[in-house]
Amino acid sequence: MIEAFLAVLVILSASVFSITLYYPTASSDDEKMLKTLGRQVLMELDNNGTLGNFIDESNWTAVRESLGILLPIGVSYNVTVYDEAMSQINDSTMSNGLKGQKIVSSEYLCVSQSSEVHFYLVRLQLALVR
Amino acid sequence: MPASSIDTILASSIMIILTTASMAIAAMTLYPRFNELSHRNDVERYQQLAKNILLSTGTPTDWGSMQEVVPSSFGLATVNSSRFYQLDVDKVSRLNDNNAYSITYLQLLESFGVRDVALKIDVDTLFDLSTSLVSSSSGENETTYNFELSTEKSGLPVTAQLSCYVISKNYVDHEFSSTTSSGNGSISVTIPNSENGTALLVSFAKAETRMVAFDVYPFNHNSSVPEANGTFMTSSPLNYALNVSFLYPTEQVLMGHAFTYGYNSELTQTSGDNQTAEYSFPHLLDSSPTILVLTGSNGSSVFAEWVAYPQLPLTIGSDLNDLGAASKIVSFSYVVTVNSALYKCTMKFVGPE
Repeated sequence: MIEAFLAVLVILSASVFSITLYYPTASSDDEKMLKTLGRQVLMELDNNGTLGNFIDESNWTAVRESLGILLPIGVSYNVTVYDEAMSQINDSTMSNGLKGQKIVSSEYLCVSQSSEVHFYLVRLQLALVR
Repeated sequence: MPASSIDTILASSIMIILTTASMAIAAMTLYPRFNELSHRNDVERYQQLAKNILLSTGTPTDWGSMQEVVPSSFGLATVNSSRFYQLDVDKVSRLNDNNAYSITYLQLLESFGVRDVALKIDVDTLFDLSTSLVSSSSGENETTYNFELSTEKSGLPVTAQLSCYVISKNYVDHEFSSTTSSGNGSISVTIPNSENGTALLVSFAKAETRMVAFDVYPFNHNSSVPEANGTFMTSSPLNYALNVSFLYPTEQVLMGHAFTYGYNSELTQTSGDNQTAEYSFPHLLDSSPTILVLTGSNGSSVFAEWVAYPQLPLTIGSDLNDLGAASKIVSFSYVVTVNSALYKCTMKFVGPE
């Protein structure tokens, strides 16, 4: 009788352990897609120096509105802009309320095209709103 | 029966039941895992396929501008593109089934060359512009029309600058306005009472540089209800030429114009008879779609017909709505450039279950 219950214990433990072997890969697929999307959106926004100009002018509203238009529905975002010393320079939040199970981050090195060259690191955090 | 035998039978029964139950649980648990493993690279693969469509020119490289040519390999990128995801205006236009030279989904699949994948491609402006006629007032010599315009993306307001053209028979006028932070704006246009027939308000909304939406609103001016677009002709823009097939033999074109956000130009007729005509128009260097308008008459009816270049919005591909629950649809969104204006391109892929 004791052997039977031991066997029950072993088999149940094995079943429970096997459940933990399964993990969804969908989240990593979403992460890849979001990273690609983030990079592409920042590159498109900086085409012709638009993003650099917005940052030079501290026009955070324009950055937020542009990203709101460029990003598809169902994607939440938060943008932070750092200068060469890695100090945050945006003094207002550029976000539509970042929320989601997995948050990915895309970074983009932006160079302003004004007479004085500035380097900025733009960090775009993205998440899928489920 | 001895007690040890009862114990053995009981233990064996419990073992059999538990082993069977465990195998069932393990199978149920591991099936999605194995299924996931077999489709593990699908997303990566579809992403590469999507990129290939957007980054390659296809074969021949200028298949978009060659009216009857079906590409042997499919790609939408422009030749010698200076940036990623820069699409050819003619290749995009030929995905629209309203274009007389459009390629079919079967031709697309054939040239795409991937047998086990169904796809759907949508191309549209990044945000929406909508127009409504609020009121009008007639004077002795002219009539004033008041419009409300709204700009939004997925229900959220977009602030934009507005550039609006009013076209009626032989009359063209241009007005500027803007939408507020609530996405609402208004504009008033005046048309001389000497004109009549279907009139158009062609509106462009520019949110930021290169982010432009458009809308065309038909309304009647000194006439009855405006005729629907496509009633009098089919219009197919390709290679900076507007190819027109007249649907009535007695039609007469009065005026042709190409409009962008900042510029407009007259269309030049290069060929034609009483059934077809071809008009050329210049490549206006503006980050904006081009709206081509023809006004004309058919008997007593005065019409105004239009088409966008690139011919948007468009959808080509499989109907993915009726797929089973087991089908995994993978969707990618890209911001693409066509003639220096930005658009959204959504690609959906589905493979075997």
